[in-house]
Amino acid sequence: MRSAFEIIAAIIVALAAMFMLPRILELFALINATVYVSMAVLALSLALVWGFGGILCFGQAAFFGLGGYAYAVAAINFADTTLAVPVALAVPALVAAALGYVMFFGRISDVYMGAITLTLTLILFNFVNSTAGDQWRIGAAPLGGFNGIPATPPLNFPGDPGNPLPPETIFLVAVFALLLCYILAKLTLRSRFGRICVAIRENERRAELLGYDVRFYKLGIFTLGAAMAGLAGMLFANCVFVSPTMFSLFYSGQIIIWVMVGGLGTLIGPVIGAILLNLLTTWAGTLPDINPSLILGVVLVLAVLMVPKGVLPSLTGGLGRLRPGSGAR
Amino acid sequence: MTPLLATEHLTMRFGGVVAVDDVSFTVNAGELRCLIGPNGAGKSTLFKCLTGQLRPSAGRILWRGRDITGWDSFAIARLGIGIKTQVPSLFDGLSVLESVRLALRRETRERARIQAMATLDRLGIADLALRQVALLAHGQRQLVEFAMVVAPEPEIIILDEPTAGMSAEETARAARLIRELNAQHAIIVVEHDMKFIRAIAKTVTVLHQGRVLIEDDVERVLADRRVHDVYLGKAVAPQQQVTV
Repeated sequence: MRSAFEIIAAIIVALAAMFMLPRILELFALINATVYVSMAVLALSLALVWGFGGILCFGQAAFFGLGGYAYAVAAINFADTTLAVPVALAVPALVAAALGYVMFFGRISDVYMGAITLTLTLILFNFVNSTAGDQWRIGAAPLGGFNGIPATPPLNFPGDPGNPLPPETIFLVAVFALLLCYILAKLTLRSRFGRICVAIRENERRAELLGYDVRFYKLGIFTLGAAMAGLAGMLFANCVFVSPTMFSLFYSGQIIIWVMVGGLGTLIGPVIGAILLNLLTTWAGTLPDINPSLILGVVLVLAVLMVPKGVLPSLTGGLGRLRPGSGAR
Repeated sequence: MTPLLATEHLTMRFGGVVAVDDVSFTVNAGELRCLIGPNGAGKSTLFKCLTGQLRPSAGRILWRGRDITGWDSFAIARLGIGIKTQVPSLFDGLSVLESVRLALRRETRERARIQAMATLDRLGIADLALRQVALLAHGQRQLVEFAMVVAPEPEIIILDEPTAGMSAEETARAARLIRELNAQHAIIVVEHDMKFIRAIAKTVTVLHQGRVLIEDDVERVLADRRVHDVYLGKAVAPQQQVTV
């Protein structure tokens, strides 16, 4: 089974990263690596929603930010992060379910869906930016406006608030979360639900004429993707802290670039794309007189011109998406 | 006996244009009905109303006597109505076998596979099972869509211009196929190709300007003066109109 082989390969790579990187990287680099892993989870979430659900969501950053903020606010209020993690998944999932219900059951066309999800991001960005001052607090957690929540607590051992995880362990948690998300996405695509989602991506009208309630499946994969983006936001909050930039256009745009460059219609492509492009922009940031966004733009243009299917499908040559009957790599 | 599918005074308006005007017709189990008419007669609009792609402005659609007017396409499909659109509507990125398996919505994985293979066999395209749909020739794609429509054993199949874009030889084969399928399924064929109609039809309903012009046995319809006039573009005097 190709799929089983790919899952085993992913487990080996993840274990290798968990074993090697904390030994060879300095603390600062390891925290950066954790950020990249959280970005990889974010890329994976859009890979699922866009690449397999066929829903071009410009608002994945909104769910990323919501996950981060939900985690920070819950962790501060509970004074324990154990329950803050499910909250970080549930809040974006619920928002996505409500928004998706309106979009899919209202039969809003794809173009507007892009506009609506983008607008959600902008609304949240502007809203959170304007929450400076003491009147803006949820329970014990001040939202902090432009400054975000610098006091975002790091994960603690489940049920033991006095015992926060060191950054090395948070890195392991992040890689483990990425691995779990990958396996979950893989299994989803192999399931009946996932196969129907792919069929809907291929031809929505046909799926409907075969008796499938398209709206239900789209809502499902959209919500799943939002929960995954929320998890990414929670991991990100653990490396840095939550701030309105999580909702910014910069992130919304970047996620799409990671997926396009890595390979739309694959799972591992966007993961690799996210990590490599983050390495690239970080490195570009150290160069004098060059704006990293410019480099990112050049990479996107080159990728679209030279490898329109994305780097991974072009490298493997098999064009995984075109292989009959195959789900994903 | 309750008809399988019926419309009652079905009307579809787009602004001031009445595309389907007070159409009532019935189709019984096992029947093969052709719905013909020149361009603009309202055939496609009627097809879209029947398949839930349009919500009619007035009138009712009945399935075994049950009102299904305004139902969504997926709900109509679930009743056991197989629908084939004019332009083949397929899952291009998937294999032929996977496509037909998806059509067998209610079956378990393994049974869907067996039934899908049986259907492909029946249509003579079992050798294409593992091919990707996008890479097939036009005629093969038509057959794949037929396979998807037929696989779940629908009680009625509605075909919108099944011969559009087909060669003469492919058309002859489609006619044979439709007659074969009619042994097990009721069929409605929406067409404008008269030769094809002659090859397959028993009962024909002719639409003109959104109304039913005549509904009768194929020979009598094709001999009818008004039908010739309509197809040659002559106006039909109002007093000659027959509403069934």
